[in-house]
Amino acid sequence: METADTYTIVLTERNMGYAGQFYMVSKEGIGEAPISVGSGYGNPLMFSIKAVGSVTKGIMNDPYGEIGIRGPYGNVWPWKSYEHVVAIAGGIGIPPIKALIEDMQGHTSLDKLTVLYGARSPSDIVYRSEIETWKEEMDFRITVDKGDENWRGHVGVVTTLVPEIKEYNHGAAFVIGPPVMMKFSVKSLLDAGFAEDNIYLSLERRMECGIGVCGHCNIGRWYACEDGPIFKYSDTKEEPELFL
Amino acid sequence: MIYKMTDKDMEILFERISKDFQSFGSKEENGDIVFGDIQRFSDISEEKSSYPPKDFLIERSENILSIPRAEKRAVFGVKSCDLRGFYIMDKQILGKDPFYTVKRENTMFINFVCEKMCSGGFCTSFGGPVLDEYDVQVLHKNGYFYVEASDKYEKYLFGFSESDDQNVFEEHKKEFESLYGRLNVDGIENRMKWSSNLWNKFANYCISCGACNYSCPTCYCVDVYDDDDGRKKEWDSCILEGFTRTAAGNVRPELSERLRQRFYHKFKYYKLSRGAYLCTGCNRCVDDCPVDIDIKEVITHDYDRE
Ligand SMILES: Cc1cc2nc3c(=O)[nH]c(=O)nc-3n(C[C@H](O)[C@H](O)[C@H](O)COP(=O)(O)OP(=O)(O)OC[C@H]3O[C@@H](n4cnc5c(N)ncnc54)[C@H](O)[C@@H]3O)c2cc1C
Ligand code: SF4
Ligand code: SF4
Ligand code: FES
Repeated sequence: METADTYTIVLTERNMGYAGQFYMVSKEGIGEAPISVGSGYGNPLMFSIKAVGSVTKGIMNDPYGEIGIRGPYGNVWPWKSYEHVVAIAGGIGIPPIKALIEDMQGHTSLDKLTVLYGARSPSDIVYRSEIETWKEEMDFRITVDKGDENWRGHVGVVTTLVPEIKEYNHGAAFVIGPPVMMKFSVKSLLDAGFAEDNIYLSLERRMECGIGVCGHCNIGRWYACEDGPIFKYSDTKEEPELFL
Repeated sequence: MIYKMTDKDMEILFERISKDFQSFGSKEENGDIVFGDIQRFSDISEEKSSYPPKDFLIERSENILSIPRAEKRAVFGVKSCDLRGFYIMDKQILGKDPFYTVKRENTMFINFVCEKMCSGGFCTSFGGPVLDEYDVQVLHKNGYFYVEASDKYEKYLFGFSESDDQNVFEEHKKEFESLYGRLNVDGIENRMKWSSNLWNKFANYCISCGACNYSCPTCYCVDVYDDDDGRKKEWDSCILEGFTRTAAGNVRPELSERLRQRFYHKFKYYKLSRGAYLCTGCNRCVDDCPVDIDIKEVITHDYDRE
């Protein structure tokens, strides 16, 4: 368990997906759910899951039981095209950023990456031990919406960290998290001088097939599962249904 | 090549095809026109079936943990509007949904071009009823059957007499258009308005039954879920509230938003992504709507005057 409601599973299979992609993870008799890869390409496949409903709780309640996986599906964070990347993750949006760190490691210097991670409270922070290492390897900043008596770090929503990283506004920004957080992150990134076509959003939509046939993840002319889940803000900004 | 055939020729054609395929056709059963087994060509009804033949390729409910089975089937008496639905869906799901794909590749459709427009139909607006893409296309006119086949199935027509008039289909199409006209669908993707009153107006009557989606030959959305005997995919409806519900919220909680989505997907999104309108003008969604919501109004509505 990472926190009271979030857990990590590591499988013996290798991850054949890249950061930003997802697998359909299932528990027979209950159903399937789209879950992002939380590890780098070629590493043991890892998912971090927040228990919110039947499938996500079903897997938590049967930790050694069998699960099904199919994938990887969807597109990837386009980090290779940029000199510098600012990744902003809110809540359970952090696994694809962990995968991003692992994909970049070994290919490029982690100086190219800045991560802003926002959790609701200190007890909602996942990957505590990894974060200690990341803080030494790269510019990794963390904030909580509400602190507690032991918390000495930054307090405030993740967007309050954005003005601090203005100097990177020539590069790309990758945003993933709850809809409101994404909406305000885009606003503060634009204010900080990031270009609309360098801002990428990973959109959460209901997904049932993952392969463009069930129709549930439709957004404008796209299907989030096959054309996304990562979209350029400049392509999608006119879509009235961009943010929930 | 267009062939001119008699009733007897059609029986021979039916026999030829039935040697290689299991034959189905539209026929009358207790006052309904339904698809079922047929023994001879004369069993086939030329009336529009009560439901589209969609379930030959997308079953109402299907276990997807099983292996897709390739059964060779021929379906006679499909109306052009219903057949065209498959060609439009192909653009999105062929090659991706293994169940649809295997069935699509092993099913032959023999479509009947209507001699007269059906009540409410507007297939001329979408290029019907004579199709450019077909397996075997049949026009029953002046006591003869005019038949043409795609390259793949041309062999079944060898030996029948060629028609002197090789323009019958073209002429029939022109005649149909001049008799019944066309709605102005061109550019509808740019005319529709997000904030139109139409969506609220429809939402005042719509009872969210989903009949419009189930009866539509172009609606392909399915629900994927598990139950006691496996994983199922089952016809779904974008009009239902749960369609887009997620743990993070719902993009379309209001009925007016879901109705708008249905029409935007048909007339804008699909046009932009796949180059086609997701409608064939069959009028089935209008016929089956218990509160008379008419998709033609979405096409003819004057959005500029709102
Ligand atoms: C591309 C992508 C990547 C994701 N990555 C992660 C991740 O790494 N970790 C994580 O914890 N979560 C992730 N999610 C969210 C996760 O998919 C949902 O929390 C999960 O589907 C809920 O399933 P459930 O059966 O437990 O909930 P349910 O019992 O089905 O219901 C809980 C709520 O989720 C909604 N829901 C049902 N099915 C889906 C569905 N297929 N997609 C979205 N919502 C649904 C229900 O309508 C309900 O409101 C991701 C979602 C997407 C689209
Ligand atoms: S008229 Fe209605 S049922 Fe027929 S194809 Fe168009 S949307 Fe579907
Ligand atoms: S058939 Fe009519 S009442 Fe039923 S969901 Fe469609 S529009 Fe609404
Ligand atoms: S999840 Fe089925 S179409 Fe995207």
